[in-house]
Amino acid sequence: MFKRSLIYIGILITIVSMVLSACAAPTAAPQETTAPATEAPQETTAPATEAVQQTVAVETAAPATEAAQPAAKKFTIGISNPFISSEYRTQMIAELIETNKEYMDKGITNELVIESADTDVAGQIQQLQNLMAKGVDAILVNPGDVNGLNATLEEAVKKGIIVISVDQELNVPGVYNVGIDQKEWAKTSAKWLAEKLGGKGNIVEIEGFPGHPANVARMEGVDEVLANYPDIKVLAKDTGKWDEATGQQVMSNFLAAYPTLDGYWTQDGMAIGALQAVIAANPAKFPVGVGEGRCQFLKLWESVLKDHPDFETIAVANPPGVSPTGLRIAVNMLLGKQVDKTKLGGVNGLSFVIPVPIVITKDNLQEGLNICKDKPDQYLLDGIMSDEEVLNTFFLK
Amino acid sequence: MRKTSWETLTTKYPALFSTTLLIVALLINLYLQPNMFARETLNSNMRVFLPLVLLAVGQAFVILGGGIDISVGGIVSIVNTILAVYVGLNGSIEKMWIYMIVSLFVGALCGAINGFFIAILRLQPIITTYATSFLYVGLALFILPNPGGGIPQSIAEFYRTTTPLGIPLAFYIIAILLVIWRYIRSTQFGSYLYAVGGKAEAAYETAVPVTWIHFSTYVISGLMSAMAGIAITMLSGSGNAEIGSPMTLSAITAVVIGGTALSGGVGGVTGPIMGALTLGIIQNIISFSHINTWWETFVKATIIVIALAAPGLINLFGRRKS
Repeated sequence: MFKRSLIYIGILITIVSMVLSACAAPTAAPQETTAPATEAPQETTAPATEAVQQTVAVETAAPATEAAQPAAKKFTIGISNPFISSEYRTQMIAELIETNKEYMDKGITNELVIESADTDVAGQIQQLQNLMAKGVDAILVNPGDVNGLNATLEEAVKKGIIVISVDQELNVPGVYNVGIDQKEWAKTSAKWLAEKLGGKGNIVEIEGFPGHPANVARMEGVDEVLANYPDIKVLAKDTGKWDEATGQQVMSNFLAAYPTLDGYWTQDGMAIGALQAVIAANPAKFPVGVGEGRCQFLKLWESVLKDHPDFETIAVANPPGVSPTGLRIAVNMLLGKQVDKTKLGGVNGLSFVIPVPIVITKDNLQEGLNICKDKPDQYLLDGIMSDEEVLNTFFLK
Repeated sequence: MRKTSWETLTTKYPALFSTTLLIVALLINLYLQPNMFARETLNSNMRVFLPLVLLAVGQAFVILGGGIDISVGGIVSIVNTILAVYVGLNGSIEKMWIYMIVSLFVGALCGAINGFFIAILRLQPIITTYATSFLYVGLALFILPNPGGGIPQSIAEFYRTTTPLGIPLAFYIIAILLVIWRYIRSTQFGSYLYAVGGKAEAAYETAVPVTWIHFSTYVISGLMSAMAGIAITMLSGSGNAEIGSPMTLSAITAVVIGGTALSGGVGGVTGPIMGALTLGIIQNIISFSHINTWWETFVKATIIVIALAAPGLINLFGRRKS
């Protein structure tokens, strides 16, 4: 028994000594930002965020990416995404790759370094650390936790990496945010619902994950709007967990409990479920409901209109395109273009607020259906700002 | 020559396979990421791996004793939310100490609740801890409904950047764990643990306090979960009631990769520690081998399945030959 533990301790010592020797080897400059060119890929970026362009060109090779390096330094952009298997994220990653191709063709960037897998907070911290170790120049992160990544992201900022949080706003000094205004997004459909009901009636609400920052912001928006319409009564509120099947189940229960419902407010994937529950219950008068900007929903909407021409709903796009827009912002910052700080909002004044690209109501349903014509059912109505739009909107001339 | 067959070797040295696996994984990682032993890189990896290592150690005790604990993630979440809410971003170091002790106490208490149901009321471990896991996550959600709060940045920085003598903090903690394990293994409790896990009834007949041993493994697991909770709170610096849940299965996987059989009585704690490190390194390997994004999950799962199946496969071929 004693012998066995000796072996274990022996192994431990071996590992530790490997570590020690590795630490000792690369000269005596361990906590550096400027290091010998042969060493570590993480030191390829220059410290100053503003004037990266020139200094970087001098600093040569990024060994992490195997691409042959031409004379001018190309930028490498890393993506960190902790949640897959949702159409939003899938579309986001695909569009990022596509948008980056444009810049690759111009010789500005290398292939994206993508860290994308279902993972927890520790896993996303590891994703970010690996991106840093690969020596990326900018990181686009879709955070899985509002605060859990703060220290790691600050480390990246300190290394001179441009860090942009997409889709969800973070409050970390030095970290930029790119996304839609979640509260305004919810207000648009809430206001529409209140007005369609003539400011009067009984409604129910189906929310996403309680506590999720986007859901919190959205529900705040809804509450703010409804506060102006005292005659609209919220009979009940439940979570559909941003899941189509759960949304359908919740809505079925609501319809059973309140057969003469005037309207309902919901969001994202749950809207299809809710509408399907309404179709299944088939009440004499369909309630006015909030929909979502997905092709599958628009097609369902069209088919409902055949039997119920009075049916009213609205689809406010929640565009995955904010991420490729974020990529464009990152590239332009890397190219040394100056951000017009007056155009930014948010707590730290570091948020790029992207306008909602499209709102579909009965009037322009055909427009939405046309977009969907050659798209798969799960396609989300989208909008990616062009390079020119990004420059004109957020950067100094 | 029979005596040196793989099967006898692995019963003699339960950590043999996991050690081999860890070394192979390390070498691949080193090949893909030449600077992985640079102090900063090594430390940033180890600080991420440590919570899972701690969790795997606790889980190993339970599994050795013939049980299983799937409430560990819930306990991690409770501890995380307690620290994030009661210490707070502007809390003092003293407060942190107090609530770290409170956390350990809470962890042990949660473990004792599991132990009470399983050892004393003789309920099924898997169902019981599945049920209590919701109890614990529910409590964590009650303490901190929305992600937020946190611990002072200086304390998080201490955890993230401390490398005494150039060696990451996590290595010292692992070394301490190994020393404690070696001691426990040599005590009567240690031999009872293996006896209970191997054949509880036979152990009972030979006057081994089976109930007490079972009970204590869950308390140890609760305690280790609390430590994992403290570590992950220091890593992330913030609170989130959902933080622990995904860690439970990883911890069990680490234990099994570490050569500790789910049937109980076989294995140890060293293997699971290496198992946990291996899981982390596998993630690095995936990350640095430039696998197409859409295949990442598949490849990772395949590696883990192979790692889990390998000892069985080796045994199978060994038997064929003889």
